[in-house]
Amino acid sequence: MSRWQYFLRRLVLSIPVLIFGTTITFVILRMGPLDPVSAILGPTGSPQAYNEIERNLGLNQPLWAQYVDFMVDLFTFNLGQSWVLNPDTSAYELILIFAPRTIWLGFWSVLIALFVGIPLGFYAGLNPNSLSDYVASFGGIVWRAMPNFWLAVILVGALGLGGPLGAAWIELGTRTTVIGPPNLGFLSEPLTLVTDPGSSWENLLVAIKKIAPAAIVLGSASMGNEMRIGRTAVLETINSNYVETARAKGVPRRSIVWKHVFRNALIPLVPIITGEAFLLIGGSVIVETVFGINGLGYLFFQSIVNSDLPLTGSLMFVFIVLLVSINILQDFLYTVIDPRVGYD
Amino acid sequence: MSDASPLSEDAPLAERVRANPRPGLLWALGLFAFVAVEFGALATAITGPVPWNVLYELPAGLVGGATVTSVASVVVLVSTIVCGAVGFYVQSKTNTLRAGAAGTLALLVGVGVAASIGGVLLYAFVALGLLAGLGLLAGGYTRDSPRAMVFGVVVLVVGLIGLESVVSFPTLLTRELFPNQGHRLPGGGWEGPFLGLSPALAWAFRVVLVYAYAFGLLWWCWRGYRTFRQHYRYADWTPRDDMIDRLSGHYWGLFGFLVVFMFVTMAVFAPPLGPTTVEQNINNPYSYQIEYLTDSGAVESITAGDANIGSSSAGNPDRNVGVMQYDDFGRFHPFGTLVSGKDMFTFMAAGARVSLFIGLLSIGVAGLIATGLALVTAYYKGLADLIVVITSDSIQSLPRLLLIILMSVVFAGTGIAKVYSGGLLLALIFAATSWPFLWRAVRGPAFQIAEQEWIDAARSFGQAPHKTMQKHMAPYILGYLLVYGSLSLGGIIIATAALSFLGLGIQPPTPEWGRAVNLGRSYIATVSWHISTIPGILVVIVVTGFNAFGDGIRDAIDPQSEGGSDAADEGVAAAGGGG
Repeated sequence: MSRWQYFLRRLVLSIPVLIFGTTITFVILRMGPLDPVSAILGPTGSPQAYNEIERNLGLNQPLWAQYVDFMVDLFTFNLGQSWVLNPDTSAYELILIFAPRTIWLGFWSVLIALFVGIPLGFYAGLNPNSLSDYVASFGGIVWRAMPNFWLAVILVGALGLGGPLGAAWIELGTRTTVIGPPNLGFLSEPLTLVTDPGSSWENLLVAIKKIAPAAIVLGSASMGNEMRIGRTAVLETINSNYVETARAKGVPRRSIVWKHVFRNALIPLVPIITGEAFLLIGGSVIVETVFGINGLGYLFFQSIVNSDLPLTGSLMFVFIVLLVSINILQDFLYTVIDPRVGYD
Repeated sequence: MSDASPLSEDAPLAERVRANPRPGLLWALGLFAFVAVEFGALATAITGPVPWNVLYELPAGLVGGATVTSVASVVVLVSTIVCGAVGFYVQSKTNTLRAGAAGTLALLVGVGVAASIGGVLLYAFVALGLLAGLGLLAGGYTRDSPRAMVFGVVVLVVGLIGLESVVSFPTLLTRELFPNQGHRLPGGGWEGPFLGLSPALAWAFRVVLVYAYAFGLLWWCWRGYRTFRQHYRYADWTPRDDMIDRLSGHYWGLFGFLVVFMFVTMAVFAPPLGPTTVEQNINNPYSYQIEYLTDSGAVESITAGDANIGSSSAGNPDRNVGVMQYDDFGRFHPFGTLVSGKDMFTFMAAGARVSLFIGLLSIGVAGLIATGLALVTAYYKGLADLIVVITSDSIQSLPRLLLIILMSVVFAGTGIAKVYSGGLLLALIFAATSWPFLWRAVRGPAFQIAEQEWIDAARSFGQAPHKTMQKHMAPYILGYLLVYGSLSLGGIIIATAALSFLGLGIQPPTPEWGRAVNLGRSYIATVSWHISTIPGILVVIVVTGFNAFGDGIRDAIDPQSEGGSDAADEGVAAAGGGG
C-alpha cells in the first residue's frame, strides 16, 4: 500500500469514528437519566408547564427521531441553542464568545511545552548519563506526574495576593491578578498593533502575562512527555548504525546532530505533539476553573452541571471534530515526514 | 529440584510436597503465624461486606428469635446439621460437588441459626463446620482433587466467618492494643497512650509496627517463591525466572514497587494507621467523647466534634494545626488538620483506600474487556477486528476527561452512584473509557501470538477456539497488560482526584485526596498550606511510583526495551495533564 493510499484509508476510517463518537454522546445525554426539563423549570413547576416545555424541546418524540434530528443538526453544523445556561442564545454565539480565551491559553501552553520540553529532552539525550541528564530526566518524570489541578492551586497560591511571590508577580510589568480572564480586545483589531503600537502592544503583553501561569500548568504534563520522548528518540538515533557510519566518515558533530539525529528524532514526537490536543481539551476544564478563565472548558463544565443538553452535545461534537481532524493531521504529517509509513 | 526424588515430571505439586515436606511445611507454618496475628482484621474485612442481617438474623428472627428454648430454631439447627452431614457423606462417596454445595449451604444456614441462638450449641456447631471443612480439604488433598480442596477451603472460610461473627479473634495491630489517644496529666506525662508515651510516639510506634508487619509478610511471600523454586518445581529454569531476576536488578522499577507497596499498605491498613478512626473523625464526631487537660489543670471531657471545631486550620496563626503538631486537646496530627478540624492523616489513609479501590476495580474490568477483545480479534481477525478498531477509535476520539465528567454528572442520580459514595460508578466509568487504550496496547502482542504455529496446530487439532485463546494466547499478553495497567492506574488516581476536586465523583463524607486539595485552596498561601499541598505531593509520589513500577515490569518482560530504547512506548505513562 502506498503512503497516500494509507492516508486515504485513514481519512475514510475517520468518518465512522466521527459518527460513532457523536452517537456515544447522544446515548449518554438522551438515554441517560438526565432530566433537562426539570433543570429549566426548577423545583416548583407544574405538570402542565413540564409537558409544555417537553413538547417545545421535542423531548416527547420517539428516541430514534430525536437521534436523527441530533445527528443531522450536528453534521450540518446547526448547533442549536442553549436551554439553561444562556437561554435563547445560539451555541455558535456562545462558542464565539468563549473560544478565544481557550485558544489563547492553548496556544501559549503548546508553545511552552514545545519550546521547553523538546530542547530539554534533546539536550538530555545528547549528554546521556550526565548529571544534567539525570536532573532533567527525573524532573521531567516528576513534573509529568503532577496533577494539573494541584499545580494550578499551588501557582494561584504562590502568585496570588498574599502568596510568597505574589507581590513580585502582581507588580511585574503592568499590574494584573492571577485569577480572571485575559482581556483579548486587541485581537479583534490586529491592525492596531501597527497603527497604534503604544497601547496595543501593552495590551498584548498584559494578556500574555495574565495567561502565563495557566499556560505553564496546562503545558506542564505534555512538556514532561516531550522531554522524555525527545531524550529517548535522540538516544535511539544517536546509537544507530548510520550515525556511526557518518561519524566514521568524519562528518562534523554539528551536522550529525542537526541533519541526522534531529530530524529523525522528531518522528516519534509527532503523535505526542498532536496528542497534546487531548491533554489541552481535558485539562482546560480544570485549569480554566481554577484560574477563573471563562473559556470553552469552563463553558462545558457549566453546561453539563446545569444539564444544558444541546449546548453540551454541541461542545462535545466540536471537540470530537477537532480531535479527529488533529488525528488526520497527524497521519498526514507522518506520511510527509516518514516515507516508511504504509509500506507494511 | 534439589533432592533426587524419583518423581516424574508431571507429578502434581501435592506429591512433590509430600516427597519433601520440610521446607514447605516450615513456610506454611510461618505464613500461618503471619495470618494468625492479623486474623481478626482479615475476618472482619471478609465478613464486613456480607449482608449478615439479611442472611441469617432475619430468618432467625422469623423462626423464633434468640430464645434457646424455641423449638423451631432447634429443629432448623438439627435439620441443617443433618443436611450438611448427609451432603458431605454423599460428597465423599460419589465425589460430586453438588452434594457438597448443598452441605455448604446447610452449613451456612446452620451457622446463622446458631449465631442467633448463641451459647454452647453454637460453639459445638461451628466446630463441626470447621471439622467438615478440614475433612474436605484433607480428603481433596489425599485424592489429589483440586476442586475438592478449593471447596474445603470455602467451607473452612464459611465456618471461620461464622466463628468470627460471635467470637472476636485477636488482632495484633489495633489501636486498642497500641492506643495513641489520651490526655496530658497535670503533673506532666500522659494518661492513655501506649506505655505512657506521648501520642506522637505511640502513633509512630504503631505505624512502624504496621509497616514492619507488611514488609515481613512480603519477605515471607518472597521466601515462599524461593522455596517453591528450589524444592518443588520440576524445571530448573523458566523464562519467568529471568524476568524476576531482571526486575530485582532494576532499581528504578524497585523504587516504584516500594512506593506502590507502601501505598497499598496504607490503603489496606488504613484503620490502624490513622491517629483516629474514620468513624470518630469524619462520620460521627459527636458520638465520641475525648478527655483533655484544660489550662486550669483539670481533666475534662468534650465530644470529638467540638474538639474538631476548636482545632481547625483556617489560615490564621491562631487557628491552625500544622504538620506534626498537637492541637489544644492533646491530639496529635501527623499531617495537621483540615479546615473543619478533622485529622488529615486519617482522611488521607481512608482516601488511599478509595483511590486504590477505584483504580484496581476499573483496571480489572478494563483489563478483562481488553484481554477478551484482543484474543477474539487476534484469533478471528477481519471483520471482528475492524468493528473493535472503529469502536475503540471512537471512544479514544472523545476527549476522555470531558467524557468522564459528562458521565459522572449524567449518572450521578442513579442507584449505582450511591455505592461507596460514587466509587463504584467512577470505577465503571473509568473502565468503560480506558479499555480501548489497554486493548490497543495488547493488540500487537496478541496478533503476534496468533501467528504462531502452535495456534495453527491447535486449530487443526480441533481444539475449541475459546480453549486455544485461554490456554495458548492469554498467558502471553498478560505481561503487557500488567505494564499498561500499572501505568494507567496512576492516571486513574489523578483523574479520580481531579473529579473530586471539581466536586464530582466521590461525594462527602467519603474521603478523597482531590477534595482535600479543593478544601484547602484558599489557604494555600497561609500557615495552613498543608491542606492542599500534602495530598498533591502524595499523588505525585504515588503516580511516579506506578509509572516507575510499570517501567520496571516492561524492562523485565521485554529486555530489548531496557534503558527505554523504544520511544513510542515512552508516552504511555500516566500524565497529570488530564487532571
